Amino acid sequence: MLWLYLHFPHLLLDHIRRSRENEGALAVVEGSGQKVIQACPKARAQGVRAGMRLKTAISLVPELGMVRADHQQEARILEDQARWLYRYAAHIVLVPPDGLLAEVGSLQRLYGGLPAVWQTVEQGLNERQLNAWIGIGHTPLSARLIARTGKGECTADKGHILRALGQMSLMAAEFEDKTRTRLQRIGLNTLGEVLALPSNELARRLSPETLAYVQKIQGNRADPKTPWHPPHYFRQQIDFVQEVEQSQGLLFSLQRILSELEEDLCWRQQDTDSLLLVLQHRHEEPTRLRVRTSGPEHRSETFLNLIRLRLEQQPLRAPVLSLVLSIRRFLGREAGAGRDLLGETQDLNEAWHTLISRLQARLGEAALQQLSPQADHRPERAWSASEVLRRPGTRLPDYTQLPRRPLWLLRGPQPLTAAPSRWFSGPERISGGWWDGQRVHRDYYIAQLDSGQLAWVFRDVRDGWFVHGWFG
Amino acid sequence: MSEILNTLMQDARVWQGHQHIRTNQSAEPTGYQMLDNQLGGIGWPRGALSECLLNAPGIGELQLLLPLMQRLSHSGKTVFWINPPHTPYAPAFAREGVNLDQVILIHTEDEGDLLWTLENCLRSPVTGLVMVWPGKLAAREIRRLQLAAEAGSNVCVLFRERRYAEQNSPAALRLELAPGEHQDLRVNVLKRRGSWPGQCCSLAMHHRADLAFQEAPRIVQGPWSGQAG
Repeated sequence: MLWLYLHFPHLLLDHIRRSRENEGALAVVEGSGQKVIQACPKARAQGVRAGMRLKTAISLVPELGMVRADHQQEARILEDQARWLYRYAAHIVLVPPDGLLAEVGSLQRLYGGLPAVWQTVEQGLNERQLNAWIGIGHTPLSARLIARTGKGECTADKGHILRALGQMSLMAAEFEDKTRTRLQRIGLNTLGEVLALPSNELARRLSPETLAYVQKIQGNRADPKTPWHPPHYFRQQIDFVQEVEQSQGLLFSLQRILSELEEDLCWRQQDTDSLLLVLQHRHEEPTRLRVRTSGPEHRSETFLNLIRLRLEQQPLRAPVLSLVLSIRRFLGREAGAGRDLLGETQDLNEAWHTLISRLQARLGEAALQQLSPQADHRPERAWSASEVLRRPGTRLPDYTQLPRRPLWLLRGPQPLTAAPSRWFSGPERISGGWWDGQRVHRDYYIAQLDSGQLAWVFRDVRDGWFVHGWFG
Repeated sequence: MSEILNTLMQDARVWQGHQHIRTNQSAEPTGYQMLDNQLGGIGWPRGALSECLLNAPGIGELQLLLPLMQRLSHSGKTVFWINPPHTPYAPAFAREGVNLDQVILIHTEDEGDLLWTLENCLRSPVTGLVMVWPGKLAAREIRRLQLAAEAGSNVCVLFRERRYAEQNSPAALRLELAPGEHQDLRVNVLKRRGSWPGQCCSLAMHHRADLAFQEAPRIVQGPWSGQAG
């Protein structure tokens, strides 16, 4: 087995930098807000160093952007990277807080050699604007140690790897402080010297744990790792250094995660029809925007347009600290029907979904309705309105047996103010609803009013006359 | 004749009333032969606005569009109803053979939304027919809609009050609708492309309530007592 380790020296910083529009100096400060932990190149150029006190850093760079380190957030970002790496490798192990381990021995044939694997990963890192140190080792631990020195080499040769390990200092080999002191007292300074010791001596003189550690580096002892599996949902978060007040600023960042979503969906060969966008505010409840498309969709452009429409309709209530995009509903992808080989005819099905989604995003989902007849004798219950859904090619039931009804139904019966000029047919008695308390007991007539309108009028139990519909 | 006039005539920039020009504009037949004849044998213009001006519902105005709705809804085109004054009654349309899966009802809150919705519907290739009850509209907005309609190739019918008949409008077809004596619909062409307006016809609409055409009503003595109401 051959392992590839990715060490992200400043993951949080990279994560924040890539979703920023302006390129100001940026630093990550520790939880208590006292010390700078990571600084971006621009900040470093102006003299900000890791480990510096925050006050010093601010006096050096007054406009320094600051982000507080948050372990939960770091874990989440790391998982995002694992999700991306999962496209290239199947066996992935998370090494919090800043490492990813992937088994690459089995990938060499697929990619055509180790250098190709290395190159693929490196290219992916560049595309994602992430800094990572890559290391390859024959055991998980050796890959990690090599990666963390930043001197990883693209080799599968065990001897070469062991030589690289051998030159490593005890500090870089990550022995515990106590063990390291003891080793130094014995007179050992590099990992190679420790590795050369006979194992039973090492166990007796130091401790069985140290032996286990050394053997795991060498590969003489099993070091089982449980593989990570990607969750069945998509979730991406953007944290803003400065609060965003304009929805335009959100769109810029959304563009990137939506294109990541598109890639993710393409890779899964799936579509989705509902996105949840949560905007976090400082003092207010988060805003939850649910954006729906009327049909399965995966293109980032469509999603972006819908979100833009929603944001135009619904201005931001308060400045936004961070936004989370999550998708939990995935649909299988279908080949676009009705599209010919050259893509010349327009896909009407797709155009339909685009139009309906646009309208729903601006007007609200309740503004669009579809009508259908219902089996009930009472005219106001003989129809229903529902949310718009594409019902693919259902065979229409035969409705020709339905009784003759007017094309217009009033929203509620209106009192008849003047006597109709002509009576045509009737009465048709409609009586029902005793079973659900909405009792109706009416005699319906068709009559023409003085204005020439042909009306559907009825007389109810209390002898009142009402217009209920127009024969439009 | 002056030279300027001659040039104009030769350039064919002036339409002369005695020439009947067959428009090559695409159109949808109305389904009423008599009306089609009056409209130069074509029907509802596609890619342009049509206006129906009427005072009150219930005179057969939907019946006028029903053949078109039936045809479009079965050919997979969507029929949009925007801000209708009453509810289109689903059982009645189902009985008439309109595919209700292709009928979408839209309610908009303000004028901005209405115009936006209309423009989007008109430009989409899935739309077959848009029926709008716009309420008040400035001439400038109708012009905007006419441009949107030209971008697509579907029928758009605006239902407006008859008092707007006096105002001019950029719509390609304007019909004034009034109830006739025998439950028929009198259609007066106020404006059409390619020819003089002013044609009148009367379309039999009594079948919309299953009334046999008859001089005297079937119920001679209505149930209405003289003093009621």
